[in-house]
Amino acid sequence: MIIFDHVSFSYGNRSVLKDLSFSITDNERVAILGGSGEGKTTILKLIMGLLRPDSGYIMVDGEDITIKTESELRDVRMKFSIVFQEGALFDSLNVRENVAFCLREYAKYSEEELDRRVRELLSVVGVEQALDLMPDELSGGMHRRVAIARSLAAFDPVMFLYDEPTSGLDPVNADTICRLIIELSSANKGFIIVTHKIYDAMRVAGRFMFIKGGIVVFDGSREMLEKATVPEIQIFMSELRGTN
Amino acid sequence: MKAKEIINELQDYYLLAVRGLVGTVRRPFYFRDTIEQMDYAGAGSFFIIVLVALFIGMALSLQLSAEFGRLGLRMYTGKAVGITVIREIGPVMAALVFTGRVGAGMASELGSMVLGHQVDSLRVFGVDPVKKLVTPRLISSIIMLPVLTIIGDALSVLGAYYIVVYVSNQSGYVYWKSIRDVLNAENIIAGSVKPFIFGFLIASISCYNGLMTRGGAAGLRQATTNAVVLSIISIIISDFALTRILLYILGFSV
Repeated sequence: MIIFDHVSFSYGNRSVLKDLSFSITDNERVAILGGSGEGKTTILKLIMGLLRPDSGYIMVDGEDITIKTESELRDVRMKFSIVFQEGALFDSLNVRENVAFCLREYAKYSEEELDRRVRELLSVVGVEQALDLMPDELSGGMHRRVAIARSLAAFDPVMFLYDEPTSGLDPVNADTICRLIIELSSANKGFIIVTHKIYDAMRVAGRFMFIKGGIVVFDGSREMLEKATVPEIQIFMSELRGTN
Repeated sequence: MKAKEIINELQDYYLLAVRGLVGTVRRPFYFRDTIEQMDYAGAGSFFIIVLVALFIGMALSLQLSAEFGRLGLRMYTGKAVGITVIREIGPVMAALVFTGRVGAGMASELGSMVLGHQVDSLRVFGVDPVKKLVTPRLISSIIMLPVLTIIGDALSVLGAYYIVVYVSNQSGYVYWKSIRDVLNAENIIAGSVKPFIFGFLIASISCYNGLMTRGGAAGLRQATTNAVVLSIISIIISDFALTRILLYILGFSV
């Protein structure tokens, strides 16, 4: 379970999150919505302990992660599987080495086992043919799928974190990623998806949070979201109505 | 920039440099990354160092030969070239070329890794970015810059030989004898200590600026510019300080 308790965060003089409080259980499917620069990605980085808040507490399974050292955070990070915006593949390594990277760090596989495991993971996301390609040779959709495969490599996460997984993708690739997100969470595993694409969020999530000005201005179900009167949410919803 | 911010940045830089150095003696060791960086910094910079050193040696001997010719001291050209190149110009020239090629490359590579969340990915996978990214670059610079400096010194002396013998029509024997005379322990120590310090400064400053990159393409441009400018300033200032200290230690009177 993740609990944000009066969390504030700023980049230098620019305040991003202001006294933010919410909680998310492990099996929830949450979409965090909001405009660019509203601190959506920052929330994911705070959950992973990649950033430290200026004030407030962040509890993961009852432990305050804001006071943990970098080595102590390793155990916290193993509970999550994060896919960064644009995939964040290591551009000096090919697909095989990108997926194997985590396995090499954590597990002592033989080269044969490593190869088999990498192929398995790539087949889960449907890009086994890209094994020897470099990241700059992949299409946007393949890039995200390889990133998902890599995030699955060494851990057995309790929750998935996706940062703008469908941004910049065409509708077909976005649909493939959404299906994958739903499939991976089928074993009662929750996820948090950060996005500004309301259509994709509606497809995969059950709970919606809307961030505006560093605070949560909406937190509720799909039905509640459709009836929300917050002007910014209505602008987001108009995109959905346009789609339908 | 406020004084408090400068102090904070200096503190962050110091911590990064120390952690990078500590990484050389603490596991895990990233041998493959270190070899790759040595190849990039050393073999990759070889041609440009050869070219620059050769022409600097030739230009220097032209200037000295012309000036000494007026004073009737042309036979001292070799000695002046040797001392200048080995003690001063060789290490500084190699460090400046190294900054332009390797330091800028380090800052822009690490900066783009930060912007592309690749550094965050390393942390998520439990890999210390300082040990994985900074330590190999520090080691490669501290080893390869002295090697490049020695090669550069040799090429500058060769370039100067060409001018002295074939343009200025002086004796090659006298030139090489002058060079042999200046290749004493004092001059060699004075010239060979500097590249180690410069290599450390260039790599640590460039890595720090790369890892501090914020704000997209403009931020990357700023980080790379800062890395090059700060490296050059630190080379010039530390060269003066080192020269002063080395002359004192080696017993030269000024």
